[in-house]
Amino acid sequence: MKQAIYGLVLYVFLMLPPVANLAESVMTIHMHMQMPLFVIAGMLMTPYLKQRFPTFFAKWNRNGVPGIILFMIIIMYWMLPRTMDEALTIYAIEIFKFISLPFLAGVPLRDSWIKLGKMGKNIIFVTLSLLCGFMGILYIFSPEQLCNNYLIVEQITLGWAFLFLALSIIIYFIQQFFVDKTEYE
Amino acid sequence: MIKNKHNAVAIIVVLLFGVALFYVGTDGFQAYTAESARTAKLIDEKPSFPEVTLEDSQERMYPFSEFEGKYVMLTFIYTSCTDVCLQLEVNLAEVYDQIPEKYIGEDIVFLSVSFDPTRDTPEVLDKYRSYFESDGETWRMARIPDQQELDSLLDDFGVIVIPDGEGNFVHNSAFYLADREGKLIDVMDYTKIDEAAQKVTSILDAEAGE
Repeated sequence: MKQAIYGLVLYVFLMLPPVANLAESVMTIHMHMQMPLFVIAGMLMTPYLKQRFPTFFAKWNRNGVPGIILFMIIIMYWMLPRTMDEALTIYAIEIFKFISLPFLAGVPLRDSWIKLGKMGKNIIFVTLSLLCGFMGILYIFSPEQLCNNYLIVEQITLGWAFLFLALSIIIYFIQQFFVDKTEYE
Repeated sequence: MIKNKHNAVAIIVVLLFGVALFYVGTDGFQAYTAESARTAKLIDEKPSFPEVTLEDSQERMYPFSEFEGKYVMLTFIYTSCTDVCLQLEVNLAEVYDQIPEKYIGEDIVFLSVSFDPTRDTPEVLDKYRSYFESDGETWRMARIPDQQELDSLLDDFGVIVIPDGEGNFVHNSAFYLADREGKLIDVMDYTKIDEAAQKVTSILDAEAGE
């Protein structure tokens, strides 16, 4: 219950116009801080939602696959250069961002993750790192300005942040093959 | 098995939602950047050039309807620009050279509009004009002194200009072609010079042939 309140506070805080404007003024913060924080807000609210609607999650997201696909779809959608621009210029898209990231990405991610097997998790790690790597290369080496609302310098910075993220996921992915978790539990 | 049915249905629903989301979000898998969406929308809507007053490098003031009856090849620039605008204007000069001379001035005029009216005075524009060997007549450079008129034009044509805080602007660039009635009929990639020149020439040829 405490977690849900923290999640709700974070969620409301992120949506405050001055906070949202500040976060969106820098491209990298928009993509790599504001958006993930919305997902985290959703994740924090998940236990409460599962308590309220236990049958819904058990019934429709039994093995975690529908949820994780939904998560991937939503984050891929927000990786498109166009959606970043439109979140700034079209109000409805901004609202969709506020709703989709916590509730269609954060909530299903947390619900699905514990249900997924090792194989499923590994597939997600590999897909995510490939995706981030691809986006990084796209944003760094694109000769064009991909977003009308951001400078090219910011675009390149964002690209490097993507590569860094991809690398971090890969390192995490690899380390689990060498670390025996049971030693720590 | 019965219980897994819901799960399977959920997978299908989620996938369909994903396809629909990307379809709507990219105009049917066409436009992945806001810029490509903007040009597609402009070509689709063909907005009219709003009534704005231009002041050119020879200090002449006239409304855009001065060019009625002629095609107008447009670019948006500011002269203090050090990167894209230069390339844009160099490329525009090449397009200008590639268009058959008989059409120049008669059927088509070139116009570079500055969106920095405070700094781009007629004198500055005149100097800038000379860099590209524009004659100031069949290829004019002009500013829109009225900020409100300028904003409405930029807005109609979807030109987004961001000041970077150091006196420079970042903006999206393209060649814009307006027809004889002042309606925008095409937005062309400014890096594809030959393609743009061919397109314009073929439009003019087709009309001359009639």
